Formats: sequence, structure tokens, C-alpha cells
Amino acid sequence: MGHKSQQSRTRRGWLLLWCWLPLCWSQIGTAQDPDALPKLNLEQPLRPIFAGSWERDFIRSDNWETELNRVLLMREEAIDRLRRSSSSDSAINQGASLPGSGRRGGANVMELARLAEYISRQTTLRITQTRFEVRIEREGDATLICSVEDGATSSFSSVHGSETCGWDRNQLMFQTRLPDDLIILHRFSVSSDGQLLSMVISLSSRGSDPFNLRQSFNRYNAPADEFDCTQTISRGRSCSQSATQP
Amino acid sequence: MTSLPHKLLRCSQQLALLTWFGALVACAQPPAPPPERPALAPTAPVALQLASASLPTSALLDIGVVVFTSTVSAEQTRDANAWLFTEISRKETQYLPYVLHNTLIASNQWGAVRVLPENDPSVDLLVHGTIFQSDGEVLDLAIRTTDSTGREWLNKRYMEVAAMSDYPDTTRFTPGRRFEANNFIDPFQDVYDLIANDLQAARNAIDAGALAEIQLVAEMLYANDIAPDAFAHSLQINADGTRSVASLPADDDPMRKRIEEIRLRHYLFIDTVDDYYRALYDEMQPAYVLWRRFSLEQIQIETSDRLREFEPANYSDSNNYLSLTQRYDRYKWSKIYEQEFTELASGFNNEIAPAILELNQQVHGLSGSMESQYRQWRGILQDIFRLETDSIPASR
Repeated sequence: MGHKSQQSRTRRGWLLLWCWLPLCWSQIGTAQDPDALPKLNLEQPLRPIFAGSWERDFIRSDNWETELNRVLLMREEAIDRLRRSSSSDSAINQGASLPGSGRRGGANVMELARLAEYISRQTTLRITQTRFEVRIEREGDATLICSVEDGATSSFSSVHGSETCGWDRNQLMFQTRLPDDLIILHRFSVSSDGQLLSMVISLSSRGSDPFNLRQSFNRYNAPADEFDCTQTISRGRSCSQSATQP
Repeated sequence: MTSLPHKLLRCSQQLALLTWFGALVACAQPPAPPPERPALAPTAPVALQLASASLPTSALLDIGVVVFTSTVSAEQTRDANAWLFTEISRKETQYLPYVLHNTLIASNQWGAVRVLPENDPSVDLLVHGTIFQSDGEVLDLAIRTTDSTGREWLNKRYMEVAAMSDYPDTTRFTPGRRFEANNFIDPFQDVYDLIANDLQAARNAIDAGALAEIQLVAEMLYANDIAPDAFAHSLQINADGTRSVASLPADDDPMRKRIEEIRLRHYLFIDTVDDYYRALYDEMQPAYVLWRRFSLEQIQIETSDRLREFEPANYSDSNNYLSLTQRYDRYKWSKIYEQEFTELASGFNNEIAPAILELNQQVHGLSGSMESQYRQWRGILQDIFRLETDSIPASR
């Protein structure tokens, strides 16, 4: 028994060595050029790379009408279940919670679904990311900007609404609160291979169950900017030919 | 309970054990709380009082306007773009003192007027400013002025509200129509004129003998800064906390003469420093004026009736699609407006960045920011003095 366990330990040792050697080799390889090693800033939170140009993947993205029908169907099924399980219809009338139902006079799910479609019409996104912030530029809409720091950040506030952003692990979130308790939540995440971006929009009104719409985007190679531009106050955008151009 | 003179006496005895100059300043100039903010209203037009005749030498005090400080900081808010406005505020701390500098020179009431990166013992009068608010609409700042003896001349809060008429059409210049600095009057010029008039009034309340004493104390303060061993006994602290001359070396005293020579070199240096602040002011003015005008436009947009009619209370109770999209669009456009304004702020910083870099790289052989170079220079002068006086031991 003891001999067997010793053999097993030796085998495991060889296995570990075989796994460890390539790692060690790669370490030696990179150690030859210490300048090439990325410097890890421990004070800065590590975030997934969102940067790049993204175009809508219509096949993977939700269709708002289909999604609305699904929600309405679920709602009908829930009502049916309630009808079957209760002796009378009174339970429904007594305020039982139904999926997708508007409460306390907020917008109904159909209006929320249409608004979700209105907000997510853009077919491309351009995201830039630095050590400090992520900027999501959307066609025809205001840019979403958030710090990479931990904790919620107030990113905009006016009489027309306010926006708070922050991170939920690897997901970047923007919560927009409009008058009359209309809340829009944008949730961005990237796939592990960095090729797919997901944007989920959740809308709720006066505490109703949210209506969710998922949009997927594929990374694409946008042509490099021909010009390096700097914003100035008296000359507007001041541009020069990009140094990367052939 | 001990009486005030006793307390002061004990304080001065304790201070003798400490570093002389730093402790002296701490005893004579306790930090004053900022004066209260005046009511938010445009100040009445002020006429700068100009010197009608040549003034006696004792009245021509040298003024050092120290780079202002600002209460605006990025830490006050978690807004992601706050740093942009903090950056602008930092530039204003170097720009606004020069407007005051120009006003004091225009009044023709003073000796040399210079903008300085920090306190300087060689000048008769030091002006400190704290910016509480500065944008296209409001300038709110506190001014504290003390002379070399430690007497406080002014500790007052000034505020002015500007209107769009203060930014003439020529402000919105184009590459074909350059900014005309000579014809431009700062929208908050009344504030600077008022400060200059207040300073003049404070000086008029002081007799000629006391003004001459201020100049002598400044001379001895500078001597003490350069050679503390030789001049420590020359100043004393009075019962009211101010400084006065205790003993004065003779006019032909070689040590005093050498200090005077060093002081002249120091003047040349701070004149050069002042020139750099002027260059920064000249460089910054067109972009800054434009920035302020945009800032006022933005403030007016935010507060305009057009926006007020969309206050939450005025939103329709309806939750139909049209109402929801209108609500979203108003939000979207208000955010786009603000982002454009933030981009302008960034544009202002981009445009001024080379001038700030130039300011900090000006003095050859010295390195770091203007403040750091200024400190290095004072150290060099102290070293020069030590080297020169070591070679003439008889003069000690």
C-alpha cells in the first residue's frame, strides 16, 4: 500500500515537472527582455478589454418584438398557473406579482419594450479604454463614460436625469434614472476571447419588473484614423497627419 | 487667566528656541478664517483710482502677488470628468493674479508689482488670494494682504457676476479675426479695481513713518532669510504680534551692502519670474476668455426657461411611448450638451498645456515647476552669499 502511494507520488511529481517546465521555459524567454514585461499596477483594478470597434450581430441579438412576445407569453402562463392553483381569481386581483407587469401606474411592458428598442438602435459602438476610464461612443447618443475604479461613480446629473456607473465584477454598468422613476440599466460584458460584446438593456418604470433586451456585437477592424486630432478651444479640432500612416 | 501681553511674551520666548523665521511667521500670522461670502449680486461699477501726482518713495511699496490657491478640487466630487475642471482651476490660480497685477500697475500707486510662485521675504506687501468660484458667470475670491511687519491690510471676500454683455462679440474670435487683448476688458475687472482701491485706502490710513518702517522690515527680513546668523537680532516681535526693526546696521556696513547686492540679483530673478507669468497670461488670455464665454453660455442653457419648463414636476404623467422617448431625448441632449462642454474644457487644457510647460522649463539650469525653481534660486543666493562672506571674514 505504502509502495503504491510512493509510486503515485513520484508519478504526480513527474507530471507536475512536465507541466511546470514549459512555464519555466516561457519565463526564461521573457526574462531576456525585461522591458517587454507588462508592468502591473496593483493600485489600478484589472478590467476586461472593451476597447475596439464593435458592430451589431443581428442573429445573436434579441429582437424586441420577439422578446416582448416571450414576456407576454410568460405572463399569460403565470396567470394560467395562478388560476389553476387558486380556487378563485381573487388572488390575481389581490396584487399577485406577474412577470413583466407594470405596477403603481408606471409604463407598461409594451411601452418599455418599444423604448428599449429606441435606445438600442445603434448598430456600431466605438469603445476606447485607458488605465483610468472606459468611453463607449454610440451613434446618435451621448457617450457613456466610466472610471475603472471600484465603487459607484456619478457620471452625469441634470434636471432631466442622472447616471451612475460602476463595475459588477467584470461587467460594466450604467444606471440612468429619468424623471418619474424610469430606470435604464446598461450592462456591458465581453466574452473570454474578447471577440463578442454583450450589451443588456433593462428598463423598469416605478419599480416594475424590468424588460430586458440583449444586444450582441462582434469586434471588427475599423480603418485606422488618418489624422491625429487634438481638441482646442480657439481652433476647434486641430488635426495632423497620423504618424502611423504609410 | 494670563493677560494677552504675557501670553505673547511667553510665546516669543518659546519661539526663540525654535527655528527663528518659521516660528516667527507662525506667531505673527495665525491662519485667518476666510471672510464671509458677499450676497450674490453684481457689484456696482468701480472706477480704479489712479495716482494723480507723483507719490513719496515711502508710499511706493513693492507688492508681491502670490499665485492664488483654489478650493476647487477633484476629490470634492466623484464625477469622472472633475479632474478636467480642477486642471482649469489650477491654471486660473496663475492667471487671475496677473489680472490683479496689471490693475495695480495701471493704478500707478505702487512700486514694483510682481506675481510670485510663493511668499517672498524681499517685498513690502504680500497679496494672497483664494478662489472659491470662478466660471463665466461668477468670480468669488478672498484676498488677504499683509505687509512685511505682519500687519493685515485686507482680508475680504470679493464677488462679481458677469453677463453676456461683458463678453463682446469680438470674444468669439476666429483664425481670421484674432483676439484683441488691448481692447478687451476683463468681465470681472470691477473686482480687481475694488481690490486695488481697497489697498490704496489701507495705505492711506498708514502714516509715512510706518510705511518707511515696512520697507526697512522687508529689508531686514530678506537679510535674515539670506544670513540668519548675522541678522537674527535685527528684528523684534511687538506686543501686538507685528515685527519691527530692533537694530539696524549702518548704511555703509559691508554686510548690509552685500545683502543689498544679493537682493538686487534676487529682484532680477523675480522680475524674470514675473515675466514668465506675463507670458503665460498673454498666451492663456484668448483661450481663457473664450472658455469663460462658453462656460457662461452653458450656465445660461442650464438655467434657461427652456430647461426649466422640463423640470420633473412638469413632466407628463403619461407613460406612453411618445412620452417616454421625449423624456429620454431630453436627458440625452442635456448629457450631449454637457459632454460638448467637457470637451471644450479639455480643449482649453490642451491649448494651454504648452504655455504651462514653457513656464516650468524657463529657468536654465534649474529644474521642476516654477515654485521648485524659485526655491532652488533662493538656495543658490544663500550659497553665493555664504561663499562671498567667507572670503571677507573682517566684515562679520
